Amino acid sequence: MTKKSFTLLLSSLLTLSMLSACGGNNNKEAAATKDPGASTGTNTTATTDSATAEPEKPTEIKIMLPLNTTDTPPDTIKNEVEKLTNTKLTYQFFPADTYEEKLNSSFATGSLPQVTYLKNQTTFLQMKEAIKDGQFWEIGPLLSEFPNLNKLKPEILNNTKVDGKLYTLYIGRPLARQGIIYRKDWADKLGLKAPANTEELFAMAKAFTEQDPDGNGKKDTIGVVDRNELVYGAFKTVSSWFGTPNNWAEKDGQLAPEFTFPQYIDTMDFFKKLREGGYMNQDFAATSKTDAVNMFTSGKAGLYIGGSMQDIDSLNKDLIKNVPDAVLDTHSMVAGADGKFAQWMIPGYNNVVLFPKSAVKDEAELKKILKFFDYMMTPEVSNLMYWGIEGTHYTVVDGKAKATDNKELIEREVKGFKDSVIGEYETNGMYQSLNVLPGRIHAEELVLENVKYGVADPTAALDSATYTSKGVELQQIIADATYKYMYGQLDKAGFEKEVENWKSRGGAKIIEEYNAAYKK
Amino acid sequence: MQEVTAPPRVVPEPQPKKYKSSSELKKRLWRNKLLYVMLIPGVLYFIIFKYLPMYGLIISFQDYKPYQGITGSEWVGMKHFSRLFTEPDFLNILANTLILFGMNILIYFPIPIILALMLNELRGTFFKRFFQTLVYLPHFMSWVIVVSISFVMVTMDGGIINELLAYFGFAKINFLLSPGWFRPMYILQVIWREAGWGTIIYLASIAAIDPGLYEASRMDGAGRLRQVWHITLPAIRGVIITLFILKIGSVLDLGFEHVYLLLNSMNREVAEIIDTYVYTAGLRQGQFSYSTAIGFFKSIVGLIMVMTVNKVSKKIGEEGVY
Repeated sequence: MTKKSFTLLLSSLLTLSMLSACGGNNNKEAAATKDPGASTGTNTTATTDSATAEPEKPTEIKIMLPLNTTDTPPDTIKNEVEKLTNTKLTYQFFPADTYEEKLNSSFATGSLPQVTYLKNQTTFLQMKEAIKDGQFWEIGPLLSEFPNLNKLKPEILNNTKVDGKLYTLYIGRPLARQGIIYRKDWADKLGLKAPANTEELFAMAKAFTEQDPDGNGKKDTIGVVDRNELVYGAFKTVSSWFGTPNNWAEKDGQLAPEFTFPQYIDTMDFFKKLREGGYMNQDFAATSKTDAVNMFTSGKAGLYIGGSMQDIDSLNKDLIKNVPDAVLDTHSMVAGADGKFAQWMIPGYNNVVLFPKSAVKDEAELKKILKFFDYMMTPEVSNLMYWGIEGTHYTVVDGKAKATDNKELIEREVKGFKDSVIGEYETNGMYQSLNVLPGRIHAEELVLENVKYGVADPTAALDSATYTSKGVELQQIIADATYKYMYGQLDKAGFEKEVENWKSRGGAKIIEEYNAAYKK
Repeated sequence: MQEVTAPPRVVPEPQPKKYKSSSELKKRLWRNKLLYVMLIPGVLYFIIFKYLPMYGLIISFQDYKPYQGITGSEWVGMKHFSRLFTEPDFLNILANTLILFGMNILIYFPIPIILALMLNELRGTFFKRFFQTLVYLPHFMSWVIVVSISFVMVTMDGGIINELLAYFGFAKINFLLSPGWFRPMYILQVIWREAGWGTIIYLASIAAIDPGLYEASRMDGAGRLRQVWHITLPAIRGVIITLFILKIGSVLDLGFEHVYLLLNSMNREVAEIIDTYVYTAGLRQGQFSYSTAIGFFKSIVGLIMVMTVNKVSKKIGEEGVY
């Protein structure tokens, strides 16, 4: 430990001295600084305005991020990025499977690098306490100095705030990409249209089960395939169609959790009826995602609900291996009993970046790093990191990027960087992907359409100390009760008793805390 | 017949307790220097990987915050332990853990012994080897594979067992989601995966029995079963007891992975054990201190059990493990 902090001290001293040397070089432009008193004297040059013609020394930046492939990518892309952004980058890739461990241990030993990517919303939630404790730089007030970073969507930035302050940059994802992927060939054969409301959805599942859509004369198909996951499985998506709020909503002037709303019960009844009729897989409470996907791609099931509609590409690829003449399509406009559309929305990001104070010594250094991210949000750099090198990894067709057929090459050289691009194509100007599968093109339209009916989670930017420490554990009570209700082991009164149980074990406090934060 | 005894045990030679002078001790040390050098890696291993980490147990008495470290975190005394003992599910979780453990001892533990005795009765080395390999191979499959195979077999959606039940006109059984089937599935999977592997030590100790004993008993007219009862079993009694005590030591270690894979919302009331609880409440939620406190509690229970059984086994005239 002591040895480590000593090396850390040495290296940070070294960086610091280099930085101040660097700052000294460009000191002519002191006027550009907004708040000269705040920075450390030698570094009055804010890096905002780089009108200077003098070549700057490349900024050295260490970046830690999760890797979703097996091998660390070669430097091909990195070298190009360095040239474009005048930086010297050191990427530390760690396998996504064990990333939390790496994150926790690096954090505990104070060895996080200047730029730390988290893994997902959950790791962000766990970091919140440390963020409040002042372990990371607040970047909110600085954003306006960076023209490109300033384009990041305020509503999504808002969702990543901690106590109303912004500490992170986000990696964007479509707000509402959930929906149905279904067997269009089956529906056509049975003369069914895409379900316009929940009743038609039920009827479709029933028809897919009973009317022998694959025409082999055997009753060996089912309607819906679902898995042991209430959020990213079918339940949450369907519940939004029934009009259930997104996690929390106002009820009698107070924020209340979704499972206290009657629509939540309606959704459970829907799945209960589906299961009792045999129109969905009977073991869904114990079915893994892999098993559910396999059931769908083997041609046994007709409706895959939840998940991202953009997954249709990979589902289609595996399905036509087994059933060559299968046709898939996507759908998401399913009205509830009141005839209204509604879609569940995520907070618009899937990962965020933090800047630890233990590695970034002062605001001047922070600004240099932010400048790199500002570059990253230009079309040149974001395309390079997201799509790779034009001509090698992708080509541009009709103003859209068409990835090379050599998927292994992309996996190896681009994927590692692809998952680190800040913002989304609307804000960083990168190419959209060229889609060929009709269902996928349809999905892209629906993703845009969904947002119009999107229901946001009012607690996304709110804080509850009890939720941070006990939320996951408490949520288990509700998840268990929900499954038991759908399997007929709990009735409505039994379910409500479990809700009371949730309240008495900390849920009441969560309600209280969220409401207090909501009123502010 | 009854006087057949276990093979002589190796009794360690009594070591002289005191040396006349320190120079003699030095001489002895020097003479065996290579042995001591060989000891170093082992001792280092235990110090580094077993004793130093115990320092970390301190955090179970703190509200540990990673960025403040052990020295900077706030002391909270027994808070995390009292939270564990007052948790409404605690008794249920403890009971589940103990029941699975009891099944391990009562149902699983004798099976490798029986299997070893049966394998020993096989004539012909080829068959013996062949069957032994066959039964211990499942040990090399991970729990994920074992559980997945069972999933495919027993699922309601086309699993072979349920299809057979339906074919013969019985009602399908929801093995995966009914609390009643969790424990049988658990123990069957343990037996399937581990029973063969468990035979190895028993077979080795059976092989060490003096064949003369069998010959003599055959002369006296003992049949196969009598030989097993009066020669083989008493001969491996020491091994059985040692393994039993070791097993007791891991009383609350039932294999997190295995149970976690079988666990779902429908069978949680019988399937949640201490290990899975540590994972959901502690690690997924980042409550390091709380999960350390649970782990600490678990180790203490294990230690007490081992000491008790060891004492009992010595009382009844057997050798303990220490």
